[in-house]
Amino acid sequence: MREETRKFDTELAVIGSGIAGCAASIFALNRQIDCAQVGNTGAVAYTTGYLDLLGAIEESSAAVAKPWEGLAQLKNLHPDHPLSRIPVTDIRKGFDQFATFLGECGITYTAPRESNITALTPAGTLKKTLCVPATMAAGPEAFADKTPCVIIDFKGLKGFSAREVVANLQDQWPTLLAARIIFPDMDKGEIYPEVMARALEVPATRTRLAELLREAAGEVKVIGLPAVLGMHRPDHVRAELEQLTGLTIFEIPTMPPSVPGIRLREMFEQVFPEKGITLIPQQKVTALSFDTDGALLCLSDNYGPITIQAKAVILATGRFLSGGLEAHITGISESLLDLPVSQPPSRTDWYRDGYTDRRGHPIHKAGIDIDTSYRPLGKNGKPYNEHLFAAGIILAHQDWIRGRSGAGIAIATAYKAVEAAEKFLLAQHA
Amino acid sequence: MSDTIRPAINFKEKALELLPEGASFESCLTCGLCSSGCPASGIENMDPRKFIRMAMLGMDKELSTTPWVWCCTLCKRCQHVCPMNIDISQLVFFARSNWPQEEKPSGIVRSCQLIRSTDSTSAMGLPPEDFVFVVQDVLEEVRVTQPAFKNLQAPMDKKGAFFFVNQNSREPMNEPDEMVPLWKIFDLVGADWTYSSKGWAAENFCMFSGDEEAWYEVIKKRVEAVKALGCKVWLNTECGHSYYTMWNALHRFGMEADFKLESLITYYARWIREGKLPVNSKWNRHNITFTVQDPCMIVRKAYGESIAEDMRFVVKSLVGEENFIDMQPNRSANYCCGGGGGFLQAGMTEHRRTYGKRKFDQIATTGAAYVLTPCHNCHSQMEDIGHFYGGNYGVVHFWTLICLSLGILGENERTYLGPDLLALID
Ligand SMILES: Cc1cc2nc3c(=O)[nH]c(=O)nc-3n(C[C@H](O)[C@H](O)[C@H](O)COP(=O)(O)OP(=O)(O)OC[C@H]3O[C@@H](n4cnc5c(N)ncnc54)[C@H](O)[C@@H]3O)c2cc1C
Ligand code: SF4
Ligand code: SF4
Repeated sequence: MREETRKFDTELAVIGSGIAGCAASIFALNRQIDCAQVGNTGAVAYTTGYLDLLGAIEESSAAVAKPWEGLAQLKNLHPDHPLSRIPVTDIRKGFDQFATFLGECGITYTAPRESNITALTPAGTLKKTLCVPATMAAGPEAFADKTPCVIIDFKGLKGFSAREVVANLQDQWPTLLAARIIFPDMDKGEIYPEVMARALEVPATRTRLAELLREAAGEVKVIGLPAVLGMHRPDHVRAELEQLTGLTIFEIPTMPPSVPGIRLREMFEQVFPEKGITLIPQQKVTALSFDTDGALLCLSDNYGPITIQAKAVILATGRFLSGGLEAHITGISESLLDLPVSQPPSRTDWYRDGYTDRRGHPIHKAGIDIDTSYRPLGKNGKPYNEHLFAAGIILAHQDWIRGRSGAGIAIATAYKAVEAAEKFLLAQHA
Repeated sequence: MSDTIRPAINFKEKALELLPEGASFESCLTCGLCSSGCPASGIENMDPRKFIRMAMLGMDKELSTTPWVWCCTLCKRCQHVCPMNIDISQLVFFARSNWPQEEKPSGIVRSCQLIRSTDSTSAMGLPPEDFVFVVQDVLEEVRVTQPAFKNLQAPMDKKGAFFFVNQNSREPMNEPDEMVPLWKIFDLVGADWTYSSKGWAAENFCMFSGDEEAWYEVIKKRVEAVKALGCKVWLNTECGHSYYTMWNALHRFGMEADFKLESLITYYARWIREGKLPVNSKWNRHNITFTVQDPCMIVRKAYGESIAEDMRFVVKSLVGEENFIDMQPNRSANYCCGGGGGFLQAGMTEHRRTYGKRKFDQIATTGAAYVLTPCHNCHSQMEDIGHFYGGNYGVVHFWTLICLSLGILGENERTYLGPDLLALID
């Protein structure tokens, strides 16, 4: 049977559906740039839901309490770090627009503040982050005030243990207790946060759970639950459970596969097409080529081949996990265009001898180089193509895991890449 | 049934052969997103991640015998949510094919045998002459009892017609009046269409039974039937897997077909846009609410977003945008209802309803009074789980609502309407 290629035309094509890709689409929407986005889930699906800007600087063992001030320090010590190259006002704009968009689409976030929030991890340790989902916000507050609180977990749920959380926090939060209950209708076998979250979208399940929660809370007025409070209307689900129980309720992230990431992903997949973005989810671009008018992206979905013709492209394909970079015996390469990758001279230099070396490992700073207009550099050190821009953790000279700056790098560089792409598109139209 | 000896498949080897580079089981991150998003997880103590892990560990005997392969509906949701794009359903299909015929769920095997027993390719074994008779009989009755349709046509074996229209056997066999709304729609838009006495049926359980040869034979018969009449478009009516089994087979078996495969939904949307089907939502005076079920077989597994959009356009035109509530998640991320993959025919009722609980919750969350779906399996399953879990929603075909909106729904064509909808018909 003959296969017809479906063709799309767009101003801006975004390759990648991680935080950088999705942020780029949001910024393009805000600037009214016609946009198409392609990409697999990527690391978004595994996120805790916290949006980190800067939680650590290599040279220091202390966590960064004031991230905006920390950025100035980062700039002094690491001028080539992507965040060092962006004016703080632009990083703020990026975060504001991103968090606002999420809120408007039903997943409210706390607004970025001057200080980092000390947030709870699935294991009951603490980490610094800039913004947390509204469903989680009462947790750090209760921790700061050491309010009496019960952490509740569920029989059959792996990847979250109330006793572990309490054991890890007990020294700092003596009034913390643990309890275990059985989720309504889920008394057998392994249960998943995703399934519980969807069940809690049903009003009848909320009513039944509320009763169990009240019982487990006893005299205590604040409770912490694994992140299962609804999938599509988490704010609503939490508010209603609070009303039914008369308690203050907060969520704590769980280990993947966790709900906050699925929430974000499904929200983007729902909202982007409604807002006019051509979204081709769960597919990878297999070839990217350029001519004088722009770029041609080739891919296929279950139905058959697709091409996207775009005047500008943002490459936000992430690193190894997402497939933006590939590691070979001979070195590290960029997957789509074979762009030069800034990397340690040889494979033996990828890791330092000590696994826990505070300076981190050189391989975690590998990535592509860009010029001031966010265009990746080609082998000759000049921009690879005037139609091509890049954003996200594929960029070199940053170790986002150690810096606790994953979302920050993704959002801020996406903001700048879209700004640069818009400038280019406007000049083309003129 | 699991202790019979059968040739154990080397699943790891098979996976390397079947799955494209980059999506092999070796790239699995064991993140569990597939299992977390699969309604069959936990049934028979199995889930997709576990299936992969066991394949990688060489636990071939266990995988060759687990009845779970009949509870996975081959819906490909696991692949949709997998960051590495790993498709587990291909291995499940392969495992099914390895079961001795006599041990496969007899309902599925029997349906496939019946399909092959006549030129109709009907899973209910309705022979061509009976189909021709039923169509003629119903047509004559409509012409007599509904004066506005005294010239209604239901062409049979009309050479050179533009559309070759298929039909799920359930209609001619059990509820023949359900064919009439469709004929009225064709009449109204002036479609050049025909039924065929051969290869007219929509079902294809041979694919689900894991019998590739039988699957191929059925499709071959259908392709020949379309060719014999020289139709331009094979129009798949309101059935999900009939589309997928045909479309997928043409690729899979490299078959020649000089006609196009299209879905009726696409045409509903086109005819409404072109003004040929002047539906509106004014009839919905009491703001009765509707949701829509995306059949995996035509949305996630085939057309993707475009048909999902068309479906929503049609529903909103029919019931009013304000009365439409989407299920979450939806479109390509939607859950399989649990009626697919032959599950409805497999006789594993308890497991099927466990699977369907997720769908029931989705529907319950919308609070909608009705679910619209262009798929017979979805239709039956959603009715069943609705009754079982105590839901109070109805399930309706698109054709019913289109004719209702146009004020041309005959008295015998209202089986699926509840009292609230019946009350709106003057
Ligand atoms: C387990 C885990 C937990 C995390 N938790 C947090 C957290 O709590 N807070 C935080 O701030 N950050 C967190 N992060 C990091 C955060 O998710 C990253 O900062 C962010 O994902 C980086 O964004 P990115 O979009 O640049 O890359 P990625 O998220 O890696 O996305 C890259 C995208 O590109 C796509 N892609 C690759 N190749 C192609 C191609 N050829 N065609 C089309 N698409 C392609 C991939 O499918 C993917 O969608 C976490 C990351 C992980 C892995
Ligand atoms: S979702 Fe994909 S990568 Fe994750 S466990 Fe399942 S198959 Fe493996
Ligand atoms: S195909 Fe569907 S039912 Fe089968 S394992 Fe994947 S998600 Fe589960």
